[in-house]
Amino acid sequence: MQTSVLERLDASAAAYADKVMFKDPDSSLTFSQFDALTRRIGTALSRVANAGEPVAVMSGRHVLTPACYLGAVRAGCFYAPIDGDMPKARLNQILSVIQAPTMLVDRAHLEMAQTLDFDGTLVVLEEIMDTPADEAVLSARAATLTCTSPLYVIFTSGSTGKPKGVITSHLSLMTYIDSVSKVLDINDTDIMGNQSPLDYIAAVRDIYFPISRGASTFIIPKNEFAVPTALFGTLNREKITALCWSVAGVELPAKLGAFDEGKPEYLKKLCFSGSVMPCKYLKIWQENLPDVLYVNQYGPTEATASCTYYVVRERVEDDTVLPIGKPYDNYKIMLLSDDNTPTPDGEIGQICVSGPILALGYYGNKEVTDASFIQNPMNPNYRELIYKTGDLGRWAEDGNLMFHGRMDRQIKHLGHRIELGEIEETARKVEGVKDCCALYHKEKATLYLFYTGEATSKEIVLYFRANMPAFMVPRKLVNLEALPALPNGKTDMQTLKTYFK
Amino acid sequence: MKELMEILEELRPDVDFENETALITDGILDSFDIVALVGELNDAFDIEIKPNNLVPENFNSAKAMMALIEKLQDE
Repeated sequence: MQTSVLERLDASAAAYADKVMFKDPDSSLTFSQFDALTRRIGTALSRVANAGEPVAVMSGRHVLTPACYLGAVRAGCFYAPIDGDMPKARLNQILSVIQAPTMLVDRAHLEMAQTLDFDGTLVVLEEIMDTPADEAVLSARAATLTCTSPLYVIFTSGSTGKPKGVITSHLSLMTYIDSVSKVLDINDTDIMGNQSPLDYIAAVRDIYFPISRGASTFIIPKNEFAVPTALFGTLNREKITALCWSVAGVELPAKLGAFDEGKPEYLKKLCFSGSVMPCKYLKIWQENLPDVLYVNQYGPTEATASCTYYVVRERVEDDTVLPIGKPYDNYKIMLLSDDNTPTPDGEIGQICVSGPILALGYYGNKEVTDASFIQNPMNPNYRELIYKTGDLGRWAEDGNLMFHGRMDRQIKHLGHRIELGEIEETARKVEGVKDCCALYHKEKATLYLFYTGEATSKEIVLYFRANMPAFMVPRKLVNLEALPALPNGKTDMQTLKTYFK
Repeated sequence: MKELMEILEELRPDVDFENETALITDGILDSFDIVALVGELNDAFDIEIKPNNLVPENFNSAKAMMALIEKLQDE
């Protein structure tokens, strides 16, 4: 039983010293270089941060960023990764929740960091990278960790308009990584192609497969996803064998016709998650790469990125609906009905999850934590927390779990989780917006905002671009005289949906 | 050109399409903008943009996009 991910890093650094661990188009780090860098960063951070504190990390899409994360862990801290390309207002919201006394930034983000509402210690990566490692201090800091210590806090959309910071422990992360590597058979011959932003939950596989399994990860430049021929060229040049991508990322090359020009020759494994896979795109992948292992994964950040998986062995058709499958090892899944009793087999109930993979809660938010992580209502005998996902599921006859949508107004858009309520809260802050309703046109993957008032659509979009991440900006804005209403006065969303273009 | 500018303006009202010349290279338009844009251009101009057309040179400016559209319309 390991006490922290640091034990895994120590072991892989010893076993794979001169092998490439992380690579981007401009540079690469071997396992021993990466390990040494985390020790230097950890030593420098230990001089300004206490063990057990959060360290906010704002660093770009390059090989040094994972070293910043693990450097914070070497200092006995946990990291809160932040995407420095997000608007200032959003970054300030996140900083107000995490209240980190220390922020580690790369030089490219220093100017931005200096304009934020942050009065703690600002540490610049390039200035501390050469700090000599102090092994005595590092072992003292490592000794403060237990497997239930927080490892990271990752932020996600909150319906009240404030982002929620999901706290994951070392134990949860290691449990998930072991379970998913078993299904995908990830080993030291694998080269991962990282698509997910490094601050996002989906990147944990690309960061921790090298640390736990000796794999390598290549960080693919973001704009290559707009140029499909360049994307497949990169996958082949880097001999990439395994991809854990969002469904939106897997769709892109198929949508843009990338297979007309070539295919990823070395690919053996493709795991996708984040939203429901439209099988007409998976079919294109299967036709071109019939021998690849395809895995459909389902689960929320609150259960460490996942809950269940389904290995796609059949050839899919355009209208195939993939199961979300069976629980990973150490994940317990149950379906509960509205009255908190078990849902009979074959009927639809809320997907609930328990096990050592449950998040420690939402950072600094006891109220929402207590409402979402509750005592298993079926267990009166001992403490057993479950997380109610808000997702609906049904056990099929073959024992696989099927996905049946959301209970609330949370959507998945371009691989990101969004509360429609948060879009509306934001729109109401725009001068000239009286009333509004945000809706998602699933088939066209388009976020709509219906609104009343004098504001122009341009004014609204500009406000969103200045305050919210790009994926939360409505794509279509429709100005109405009045929002259609139901007899009880609530907005009639079904009628609004008929206004989709 | 007017029709193209209207499409671009609706897609991303925050971007100055008159003057930007590095829309892809500088990451101003992301992959999801491109997917949406390709669909709209194919419909509006009755063309078929192929993967080998999807290179930064063809999408870095409104002018370059117009040139691509005209080229594809001639084919």
